[in-house]
Amino acid sequence: MGLLGAGIGMGMAAIGTGFAIGLLAGKAVEGIARQPEAAGVIRTAMILGIVFIEAIALYTLVVSILLWTKG
Amino acid sequence: MEKESFDVLHELAPKVLYPLKVGGIDISITNTVVTMFAAVIVAAAILIIAARKTKLVPGPFQNAMEIIIEFIRNDIIISMIGKDGLPWFPFLGTIFFFILFNNLLGLVPFSNTPTGRLSGPLTLAVIVFLSIHVYGIRKHGLIKYFAGWIPPGLPIFIQFIVFPLEAISAIAKPFSLTVRLFANILAGHVIIFVFLGFAIMFDTLYVVPLSLPMVIIMMCLEVLFSAIQAYVFTVLSAMYIGAAINPEH
Repeated sequence: MGLLGAGIGMGMAAIGTGFAIGLLAGKAVEGIARQPEAAGVIRTAMILGIVFIEAIALYTLVVSILLWTKG
Repeated sequence: MEKESFDVLHELAPKVLYPLKVGGIDISITNTVVTMFAAVIVAAAILIIAARKTKLVPGPFQNAMEIIIEFIRNDIIISMIGKDGLPWFPFLGTIFFFILFNNLLGLVPFSNTPTGRLSGPLTLAVIVFLSIHVYGIRKHGLIKYFAGWIPPGLPIFIQFIVFPLEAISAIAKPFSLTVRLFANILAGHVIIFVFLGFAIMFDTLYVVPLSLPMVIIMMCLEVLFSAIQAYVFTVLSAMYIGAAINPEH
């Protein structure tokens, strides 16, 4: 049961993170295409945003690993 | 052939090379410790060699190191803290190179990266946490530093709500730094081990042509992620330091 929960939770976290990072990167590319001279600033902001988003998925990963090792 | 069980987390656990106990505290030399010291020695050697014979017209090696150093100085410290953050350069540069070389040496077989275990990133994050708040209190004074957490011009009852929220976020910051670095590195190593373990799990060698290229691709990705995670940890530390030095924005 713990293994099932770990798998489902990790998959749902991956869905949310993938959606969010896709949206963020798409908007960042849009911004760079519209204003190429601001590419450096936009890239830094994008990487910071991706980092904060993926942290949420990584919390799920830690919980999943705990469930996995407890069986 | 007897079927072996393949346990990824058991493979990733540190292996004791030389048992050592001092006063009831276990400080055994594991391959994690060896990796950490190797990373420190390699980083120090590379930086010393790069700095020893500085020429006005740099060679390719000195050029590469200068690009990294200037990247930390301009893109991390000046853009995140400002010009008055330059005294923090040795601290943040040390953190950057320590994490970078630990991540990279953790990819070498038989090593075990300290940043992929909970204790390594937690130690770094606690050092960052303590240095930020001790420095902020010393610069602004105890009362003024904590008063700076509250945005000016708020009604008094909202201030009582905002201050605990800011306190919670200040305590949560080192934990989020820890989990971000540790879980990223651990996830990469777990994926490499799972691909490597396909032959044992399925008990056949026919999966090797499929799994070996995947291992190589993931290794290349891990080299990239090593640099990105070192950058991210340093940038977030610089961001928190900037918030402590200039609390009004």
